[in-house]
Amino acid sequence: MLKDLIEKHLLEVQKPSRYIGGEVGSIVKDRSRIDVRFAFCFPDTYDIGMSHLGMKILYSLTNERENYWCERCFAPGEDFEAVMRENNIPLYALESLDPIRDFDFIGFTMQYELSYTNVLNMLDLAGIPVFACERTQELTQIVIAGGPCVCNPEPLADFFDLFVLGEGEEVNLELMDLYHELKKQGASRDDFLRRASQIEGVYVPKFYNYKYKEDGTIERIDVSDGAPEIIRKRIIRDFDKVYYPENFVVPFTEIVQDRVSVEVLRGCIRGCRFCQAGFIYRPFREKHTETICKEVKALCENTGYDEVSLASLSTSDHSEIDPMLTQLLDYTVSERINLSLPSLRVDNFSESLLEKIKKVRKSGLTFAAEGGTQRLRDVINKNVSEEEIMNTCRIAFEGGYSSVKLYFMMGLPTETDEDIVGIAELANRIIDLYYSIENRPKGRGVQISISCATFVPKPFTPFQFEPQDTREMIEHKQKLLLDSVKTKKIKVSYHNPDVSLLEVILAKGDRRLCKVIYTAWKKGCKFDSWDEYFHFDRWLKAFEECGIDTSFYANRRFDYDEILPWDHFDYLVTKEFLIRENKTAHQSKTTPNCRLRCSGCGVNKKVGRECF
Amino acid sequence: MIRVRATFEKCGRARYISHLDLNRCMLRIFRRSRLPIWYTEGFNPHPYYSFALALSLGFESCCEILDFNLNEDIPFDEIKDRLNAVMPEGMRIISVAEQKQKITAITEAEYSFSLLSSDADRLYDDINALLALPEILMEKKTKKGIKTVDIKPSIKIMSCEKSGDSVNMSIRLPAGTQTNFNPTLFTDALKNMSGVDFEVPIIRRTGIFCENNEIFS
Repeated sequence: MLKDLIEKHLLEVQKPSRYIGGEVGSIVKDRSRIDVRFAFCFPDTYDIGMSHLGMKILYSLTNERENYWCERCFAPGEDFEAVMRENNIPLYALESLDPIRDFDFIGFTMQYELSYTNVLNMLDLAGIPVFACERTQELTQIVIAGGPCVCNPEPLADFFDLFVLGEGEEVNLELMDLYHELKKQGASRDDFLRRASQIEGVYVPKFYNYKYKEDGTIERIDVSDGAPEIIRKRIIRDFDKVYYPENFVVPFTEIVQDRVSVEVLRGCIRGCRFCQAGFIYRPFREKHTETICKEVKALCENTGYDEVSLASLSTSDHSEIDPMLTQLLDYTVSERINLSLPSLRVDNFSESLLEKIKKVRKSGLTFAAEGGTQRLRDVINKNVSEEEIMNTCRIAFEGGYSSVKLYFMMGLPTETDEDIVGIAELANRIIDLYYSIENRPKGRGVQISISCATFVPKPFTPFQFEPQDTREMIEHKQKLLLDSVKTKKIKVSYHNPDVSLLEVILAKGDRRLCKVIYTAWKKGCKFDSWDEYFHFDRWLKAFEECGIDTSFYANRRFDYDEILPWDHFDYLVTKEFLIRENKTAHQSKTTPNCRLRCSGCGVNKKVGRECF
Repeated sequence: MIRVRATFEKCGRARYISHLDLNRCMLRIFRRSRLPIWYTEGFNPHPYYSFALALSLGFESCCEILDFNLNEDIPFDEIKDRLNAVMPEGMRIISVAEQKQKITAITEAEYSFSLLSSDADRLYDDINALLALPEILMEKKTKKGIKTVDIKPSIKIMSCEKSGDSVNMSIRLPAGTQTNFNPTLFTDALKNMSGVDFEVPIIRRTGIFCENNEIFS
């Protein structure tokens, strides 16, 4: 049995409890009574993957069906991978400890571009052909993917049988039902894929054939096998009633998000022009306070966690935020549970809200200002004024805080040296503000941490057309920022620009990148999001060998009328809207948030109802 | 408030729960059981519970000790049942009782294991030869760094029998707040000395004792 072989070597590796299952809340079924088996794979290690909320939802949801069994599977750490390869242990799922190659579905969630090579590595470890075209015609081992990255799945197209666009709560079960039905009829893989392509939200890449122009851009996409020309993402219409688990798998080892997490809203009203999540998760939908409280209570009682976090893109945009927090705090305080609230925005950070947060935590305050000058913040539609930032900092300082963390991006469209210097100047003004406050924390200096990411233009944002700054431009800006900071009260950290370059290529790339990903993986690339495993030299070699010019994807402006690799996907937001927003950005004009005024992104028309 | 001592088993997949993780795991077990666990007073109140001895990662045990306080007087059997209802696979409360002895009374612990070898006869002889040596010097990691210790006087062989391809042993070693010897010190000494290849699949702690061979309770 595989279990014995695993156990024989488990004590040779770090944190063995990650590889053996048996956690409280994990769901074990009798395999002889199961019709369809689903391996939910997260292409990173257990500690990271177990923190992913989407997996928790879809895991519990699928397992509600008696005859379906969803199990978890993660990328093994380097030490355990070596053990697996040496002892011929195939990649297995944690509930049954059965090899995932024997499963009906092998489903990956694609959360970030830098996990792509891990998919290939996991398929290889499982003994499943990495290329979809090399898999058997038999109806088994359907390799699928979902998650935000599949809004442009083309760089992954050769490795997957199909992609699920949008929210998976309904469509996953529809796919499994179809599979179950066709399996009984003895259908082939292609039969299944043809039928699956008719389900809304399902994209079968092999039915779409790309023709390129001489200049490298896309000429047209030929569709075969009756598959739809345009694939629309799936959404849950009644978000308040959507399935939410009453229990989580509670890991033994500490994971990144080791707490109960309850989703309070989906979508975002803000429309920050760089933010992919802000567009691809539309429309904005909320859960009622009662639903949220009920879910928090059930999860705390069933898991035994003493910490809860509210998950959303912008929690303070919930229309019932004040009563919600009041009601939640009643429960959490009496049960000695910590409540944490990530994703708070600067502009609606009220004094009463701060009072409530102070009851539950005393850690640092983090603000995403994103741009150093008002002009640039207007360009990116981060509707936050300096006055609001200052006001919030004042409330925070008067409330006893003495350190503030500020997030910025570098390399934003239209950005000049002035905007970079503006970051340091903004920080300086926050320091001055601190010392001008009479009742500031006594005997403590102020500490401003500036964290600077490199801007990565992403599909389905108004900036999808934008080029990324070249490495030289970024290095110049990084140096300029360091030179502009003249006090030890400000700490600056920034990202490796090579990582951001790879990210933009994988995000905006087309099907020709499949062979680059394959080549890079063959050269040993995996865990690209981990500093210690990131080998840019190997990637550059892979690009070179495959004859791919990185600047074509990274540093070129995509024309408005160019066919983009993701143009045949309908994420409800129209391309016309994105173009309009792009033009508005270049005029340094802002667009109000959706609650103030509808900007006509197209979502409400397609969904057939108003957003609010 | 009542002071309670639970004896529990940690077997099967639960043996991969490290001591640090066990702490967190126990907290969640208490919360799931909804037992009125007593919290420490002071600036940062936290539920009070403690394990008598740490168990090495990978070891099984049928005699782990967990002390905790409850705010209400609840029958021992009910405490046991409520905890067992929410325990992870491989962990089980065997008994709940009052705390008789102090943790500091612990002097030794007993471990059982099998040594598997294709040449069990020679291995058996080597074990006896090892134990006949005047001293067995081993390097031991302590808080102050690596120290060389003579483990010979501390090893109490409770049983040692040959059976087919294995030698089954039961030994007692110093344990408690003062000195703790891990049974791997013994098996490593044997590995260093013997030319026979062997494997020790699972080490199991089978008893915790005080002075005069009294079972700790």
